[in-house]
Amino acid sequence: MKGAKKYVSMAVCSMQNSLAYRFSYIMNLTSGLITLVSLFYLWKAVFRGRTEMAGFTWQEMQTYLLVTFFLGCLLSWYSEGRISGKILDGSVSLDLLKPLDFQKARFAETVGSLAIEGVVSGIMITGLLGATAGISVPHSPLVWVQFLMSTAASVMVKFGIVYMTGLICFWTTGSFGVVWARIAVTNLLSGALVPLAFLPEWLQKLAEVLPFQAIVHVPASIFLGKYSAPDAAGMIVLQFAWAAVLWMCGKWMWKGAVRQITVHGG
Amino acid sequence: MGTIEVRGLKKVFRQAVKDPGLAGAIKHLFTRKFTEKTAVSGIDLTVEEGEAIAYVGPNGAGKSTTIKMLTGILVPTSGEIRVMGVDPFRDRMRNARQIGAVFGQRTQLWWDIPVRESFALLKDIYEIPEDRFRRNLNTFIELLGMDEFLGLTGRKLSLGQRMRADLAAALLHDPKIVYLDEPTIGLDVAVKENIRGFVRALNRELGTTIMLTTHDLKDIEDICRRLVIIDHGRIIYDGTIEAVKDAFATERTIHFQGTFEESRLRELADRLPAAEVTIHEPGHFSVRFNRFVTGAPEITSQVMGVAEVADFRISEPDIEEVIRKVYEGGIELPRLTGMGA
Repeated sequence: MKGAKKYVSMAVCSMQNSLAYRFSYIMNLTSGLITLVSLFYLWKAVFRGRTEMAGFTWQEMQTYLLVTFFLGCLLSWYSEGRISGKILDGSVSLDLLKPLDFQKARFAETVGSLAIEGVVSGIMITGLLGATAGISVPHSPLVWVQFLMSTAASVMVKFGIVYMTGLICFWTTGSFGVVWARIAVTNLLSGALVPLAFLPEWLQKLAEVLPFQAIVHVPASIFLGKYSAPDAAGMIVLQFAWAAVLWMCGKWMWKGAVRQITVHGG
Repeated sequence: MGTIEVRGLKKVFRQAVKDPGLAGAIKHLFTRKFTEKTAVSGIDLTVEEGEAIAYVGPNGAGKSTTIKMLTGILVPTSGEIRVMGVDPFRDRMRNARQIGAVFGQRTQLWWDIPVRESFALLKDIYEIPEDRFRRNLNTFIELLGMDEFLGLTGRKLSLGQRMRADLAAALLHDPKIVYLDEPTIGLDVAVKENIRGFVRALNRELGTTIMLTTHDLKDIEDICRRLVIIDHGRIIYDGTIEAVKDAFATERTIHFQGTFEESRLRELADRLPAAEVTIHEPGHFSVRFNRFVTGAPEITSQVMGVAEVADFRISEPDIEEVIRKVYEGGIELPRLTGMGA
C-alpha cells in the first residue's frame, strides 16, 4: 500500500521509544501485578466454600484475572499519555507541519509500543502460569486463533476510545480528570473490574450495546471457551465493527479538534 | 504571481476575560465574557521565488501568527493565502510537502531516538528517494558539522547541536520555501555564524525562498535583502534593508586614533551641534553625530583642527538603531514598496 511505509517507520521508532521508557513501563507493570495479586486473594475469599458464582468456577476466575491483566498491559498509560501530552504541550502543531495523518500516526505509534508491551507482559504471564496451578488454558487451536484475533480487535477498540479521550484535551486544559473518568468507565463496562456476569441485569444490558465489552469481556470469554466457535466468530466481527465505528468517530472528532487549535491557536 | 501571495490577511483571537479573584473565577463558570484580540489586521505580502525576507517586529506584533497561518497550522479569520498556489490550511498535506519550518523554541526531532534515526524517519514521512536523501544528509552533516552528535538521542543534544539538527531535519526533503522562526535564539556566536552561512548558501545557491523572523539583527543583515517590519498586526515597512538604513539611520560614528588634548576635544564637542565625543582610552576617541545635521567631512576637518589624527574609520549605519526606534514608536516609516510588490 502506497504511503503506508511512513507509518510503519513510525511504529518502529515508537518501539525504540518504548524501550527508552522500559523502566517506567516495568514499574507500571509491577503495580499492575500487585493489583492482580490483591484481586486474586479477594476473589479467593469470595469463592471460599462455593464452587461457582455467576457461571464462573474458581479456576475460570483465576484465568479471567490473568487474561484481564494481559489485556490491560497492552496499550498502557504511556500510549494514552502520549496522545494527550502532544495536545497539552502544544507539539501537535508541529505534527500539523508534516505530511502525516494525525490519527494514523498515533495508531502507528501505539502499535509500535504495543509490540514491546505484548512481549514483556507475555513473558511475565508465562512466569505466572508456571507459579500458579489451576489455570485453564484452551486446548483447541481454533480458540487460540480466535483469541488472538479478538485481542487485536480489542486493542483497536481501546485505541479508538483512548484516542477520543485524548482529543477531549483540546477543549479541557488538563488530562487527569478526563483520563481517570475514561479509566473508570472502561474498567466497569469492559469487564476489567469484575466479569460482566457479576453486574446487575440492567448494567449488563447496557454493557452489551456499548463498545467497552469488546476490550476485555469478549476476548476473555473466548479464551475461557464461553462461546461456541460460530458465536465467537460473530463477536469478533462485532468487535471489528466497533473498531471501525470508533475510528470514524475519532476522525470526525479530530476535524473539530483541529479547528479548535487552528482557530484559537491551541 | 509570487511564491507566497497574501491578501488582506486577518486573524482575530477570542480571549476569555475573568474578573479578578475567586469570585471572578466562579462567575466565569456561568457567564463567559470574551474580548477580541486582533493579532494580524489586514496584511498584503508578495514573496517572489528565491527571495530571502526578514519578517521582524516587537514581541506580540503578529509575526508568529502570520507564520503559523502561512504554514497552515492556523486558519485565517479572513483574507487569502496562496503558497505555491496552495491554500496552506485547506490543503495542509500538500503544503507540508513543499515547505520546511524551523521553530527556534521547539524541536521537531524525536526525543528518545538518535538524531540519525530521526532523519531516517523523516525520509519515510516525506517519501524522499534514497539517493537524494543520502546526498542531502551528507551535505548537511558536512556543512553543519553534525558528525559528532548523529548518534545521540534528541534529549542529549546541546542547544546548538539541536538547532543544527532541526535545521537539517527541516530541509531533507528539499523544500522550496523555508520558514525560520528565531533560528539562532540562545546560540553562541560560532553556531550562529555557522547557521547564517548555511541559510545564506541555501538561498543564494539553491534558490530556496527564505522567510525569517528574528530579534537578532545580524541574522537579517547576513541572510536577507528585503525587510518587512510588522507592528500591531500591520506591515509598517516593506523594502530593502539598504533603503531603510539610508533613510533612517540618522546616527553615524567616526572612530579616531591619534594624539589630542582632552580639554580641547571637549570644547570641540560643545561647538559641534548634535554630536557627542567619547574618549575610550589614551589615543582613541569617537564622535557620534547626526548625519543630517553635520556631515562626516565637517566632523573630520573640525577634529583634525584640534587633534593629531593618525587614523580614522567610519562605522556602518546600524540597522538595529532603526528598528529599535520603530519599535519604540520613535519614527514613522513611510510605506515603501520598492521590491516584490
